[in-house]
Amino acid sequence: MVKITLKSLKKRAENEIKISKTIKDLNNVYKKYLDKQGELSQVLRSLKKMPKAKRIKLGKEANKLKTYLRDIIDKKSKKLRQKAVKQSYEKEWIDVTAPGKKPVSGHLHPLTKVKREVEDIFQLMGFSIVEGPEIETPWYNFDALNIPKDHPARDLWDTFYLKNGMLLRTHTSPVQVRYMEKNNPPLRIIVPGRIYRHEATDANHEFNFYHLEGLMIDKDISAANFRAIIQEFYRQFFKKPVKIRMRPSYFPFVEPGFEIDMTCTVCLGGGCPTCGKSGWQEMMGAGMVHPNVLKNSGLNPKNWQGFAFGMGIERLVMMKYKINDIRLFYKGDLRFLKQF
Amino acid sequence: MIFSYNWLQSFFKKKFPKPEKLAEILSMHFFEVEEIEKNGNDWEIDIDVLPNRGADCFSHLGIAREISAILGYKFEIPDKKPEETKDKTKDFIKVEVRSKKDCNRYTAKVITDVKVGPSPDWIKEKLKVSGLKPINNIVDITNYIMLETGQPLHAFDLDKISDRKIIIKQAEKGDIITTLDDERYGLDKNILVIADSKRPIAIAGIKGGKKAGIDKKTRDIVLESANFNAKTIRESSKAIDLKTDASWRFEHGIDLNLTETAIKRASYLIQELAKGKVCQGLVDFYPKKHAVKKIKLDLDYVQNLLGIKISASKIKSILKDLGFDVLKSITSQFLVKVPTFRLDILIQEDLIEEIGRIYGYENIPLAFPNTALIPAKRNLNIFWENKVKDILKESGLTEAYNYSFVSKKQGEIFGYNISNMIELENPLSAEYQYLRPSLIPNLLKILKENQKFFKDIKIFELGTIFNKGKVVEKRMLTGVVSGDAFYETKGVIDLLLNKLGLSDIWYDEYKATPEESKISIWHPKRCAEIKVRQSEIGFLGEISPSIIEQLKLKSKVVIFDFDFEKLQRLCSEETEFSPISVYPSAIRDIAVLVPRGVLVESVLNKIHAIGGVLIKDIDLFDIYEGEEMPEGKKNLAFHIIYQAKDRTLSSKEIDEIQNKIIKGLDKNLEWEVRKKQK
Repeated sequence: MVKITLKSLKKRAENEIKISKTIKDLNNVYKKYLDKQGELSQVLRSLKKMPKAKRIKLGKEANKLKTYLRDIIDKKSKKLRQKAVKQSYEKEWIDVTAPGKKPVSGHLHPLTKVKREVEDIFQLMGFSIVEGPEIETPWYNFDALNIPKDHPARDLWDTFYLKNGMLLRTHTSPVQVRYMEKNNPPLRIIVPGRIYRHEATDANHEFNFYHLEGLMIDKDISAANFRAIIQEFYRQFFKKPVKIRMRPSYFPFVEPGFEIDMTCTVCLGGGCPTCGKSGWQEMMGAGMVHPNVLKNSGLNPKNWQGFAFGMGIERLVMMKYKINDIRLFYKGDLRFLKQF
Repeated sequence: MIFSYNWLQSFFKKKFPKPEKLAEILSMHFFEVEEIEKNGNDWEIDIDVLPNRGADCFSHLGIAREISAILGYKFEIPDKKPEETKDKTKDFIKVEVRSKKDCNRYTAKVITDVKVGPSPDWIKEKLKVSGLKPINNIVDITNYIMLETGQPLHAFDLDKISDRKIIIKQAEKGDIITTLDDERYGLDKNILVIADSKRPIAIAGIKGGKKAGIDKKTRDIVLESANFNAKTIRESSKAIDLKTDASWRFEHGIDLNLTETAIKRASYLIQELAKGKVCQGLVDFYPKKHAVKKIKLDLDYVQNLLGIKISASKIKSILKDLGFDVLKSITSQFLVKVPTFRLDILIQEDLIEEIGRIYGYENIPLAFPNTALIPAKRNLNIFWENKVKDILKESGLTEAYNYSFVSKKQGEIFGYNISNMIELENPLSAEYQYLRPSLIPNLLKILKENQKFFKDIKIFELGTIFNKGKVVEKRMLTGVVSGDAFYETKGVIDLLLNKLGLSDIWYDEYKATPEESKISIWHPKRCAEIKVRQSEIGFLGEISPSIIEQLKLKSKVVIFDFDFEKLQRLCSEETEFSPISVYPSAIRDIAVLVPRGVLVESVLNKIHAIGGVLIKDIDLFDIYEGEEMPEGKKNLAFHIIYQAKDRTLSSKEIDEIQNKIIKGLDKNLEWEVRKKQK
């Protein structure tokens, strides 16, 4: 009798497990057969009244069946769980191609971005950043820099004068003198800053713009040192294997004076419309610091020498981002600014 | 300056490279050639001769000398002298220099019986290529010699010089001269003139007068070849606003020896081309001879400064080719004599430049310096500027750069004290007459422009402003945000100041100072002074409706305006960690109905005062003033966060404090705690 019961119990249980569609169904099956009050447990309990031999035999079978059913319930349960997870994933489907929600961020001015890059490169080469006033005295802007008072050389800088006899600096070079007055060599500085020129504006000219001055003074700094440092700067800035060349020029505060050209970044020297087919682009003025400038800064030119250079930051920005009109920098037009 | 390729070639036997090639060579060793342009059979070569070489290179011979040194080609200076008659120049003309400091040398020569007529084509062509208009043979020859040698010359009609006397002196006030081109100039004593016994006949070094000018009937002439003081001519030229080929050269200074060479050369051409009879000798006022300049050149220093070794013999030959003499050469040192035409060479660095550029800067190697490894000093100005800009950018503001200038009108609209603004002597236009006393005017200008294209505008600028007084220049950090955005902007400011490590910040209601009260840029009821302890570091507020109206802005605008110098001094990178309490926190809410004018801050202060250390934070989550509220009241709702560092607070403990707070707030008769939660 019990035997038959076990057999049919097994069959029923197997079937019910098989047709279970959810974990809940399966739990019910478990409850129905295997729980303390389940059918199989009842069978086991009923064995107590049976003779020993039969009891042992049937007991074994019943326990075996219990293990068996537990196993297949476990298996089925795992399967159902996997299926359920898969189904729930399906429900959670999203369109990954739909646009993201951007946090509203603003923009830095391209001059700020490029100024930082330039400053970083020079700082890594040991140049400290130094600043100076925008309103200057004629002494610091001209005389101390060996630009004689009544000489046409002074006409090289179109100058804004103030009613009080001061002027708006036409370059960041006055800071060379201001810095050397207070600091002894060896020294390496760069001076970024706003400068002013009394000029009509066009696509290449503004009346206020940014310059970056450089100065390195030590016992025996040479033009060859300048060449190496400045070429390294341009290579790091443009991330291209550019070269520089030096041509003669004249700036009263340096002697010798150089005009610095760089391999055209567009054609890398092959010649193209950007560089007027020359393969070179004019980058900046430079030279070996004039002994009079050292003297005017309180240094003895017999003991010290070095180089100075000055470049326009707008020019670097224009080359980097291919901007064709310098006036865009000071218009505050968000259609321009939001591109950076 | 434009030079003729053929003219330059004429001094050489050896053929030049093609014009493009020559231009490149000049650019690499002399000065930049800006343009080459074909003109007939000739080429115009436009060389950017910079002011230091004006003395010798505003002339074809000067450029020829450069080419000769660079290419190693021999060149010849034309030096044919005229045959002189027995008549003596000094018997025809007297020269008196009254203003000696203005005239270094005055050389004159008389030529009689000239036939005034057109110049031969070879002269005309060269003048045209160089940009001058041919007039007649006499005038053309003086111009030709100027272009050739760099010495300006002038020819007077001898018969038109009253008493045949030339006087070099300062003009008298009221003197008037009509120049050769029929322009009239009023003169004064700052202007040097050439006069005869009666009146000025030329503005010295600048332009000749019509009165003693050469015309078709001229027979006898006086040639003037002078060396005027550079500064005198520069000032005269500025005073009458007239720049000429002559004045431009005098301003740069000229070789004192050149007067004589040039006058002889011109006399020769006048004899040849205008059949003139050249009188014997010169009248030559030349009180102080040119001093010979000698410079010691240390050859080790040449190598040391350029960073390349150039042999002593190469250095010597470069110097020689350029007209220098090496007087003595001992071990690694030269004594160099500077030619009189090189006014620019004063020190040995000047010589090193000559050596370097002729040798070729392209030969200088690249060599990193051998120097102490000193790290760059940190610049805190730049560091904080960068930090602030980044925070504002991340908060949604866009950075702008504005011009440093404002107009008077802008100053007036914003009520700035015009007399305290710094005015330019020579502004570009009225729009840029003053230096900006604040960043606000120009920021609002671009805000307005941007309103054509954008609705929500948030812009900031970190820049220098200028005011008369003890601190003339200082940096400001200013932002403009369009719309009803006070609290939004305040949130940005709170975030900014928090990230800059500022503590003890509070917002005080704005009180206009008496001087500001007339016109204030701020909305009087919607503006805060941002303070740290007792000092004010900036403002946050809406701009006044009257400014919105005057500027025709399309919306309200909220502005923040910080004194960046003050702000930076308070910034700190230090962040102190406070241990995270392991005991749980609990939140209780409270809502208080208060009159509209009551400051949130005063309610917060009260809660803090009563609650003490167990209140970790109070968070205002709602301000409501609306229809359901009693007239003139507003409802403030807070989360109060309780937490102890050393224990878990019990509900009972918290409720006790909460009740104390409620009672405390209710004590104020105008305040009413609305609902008690939990």
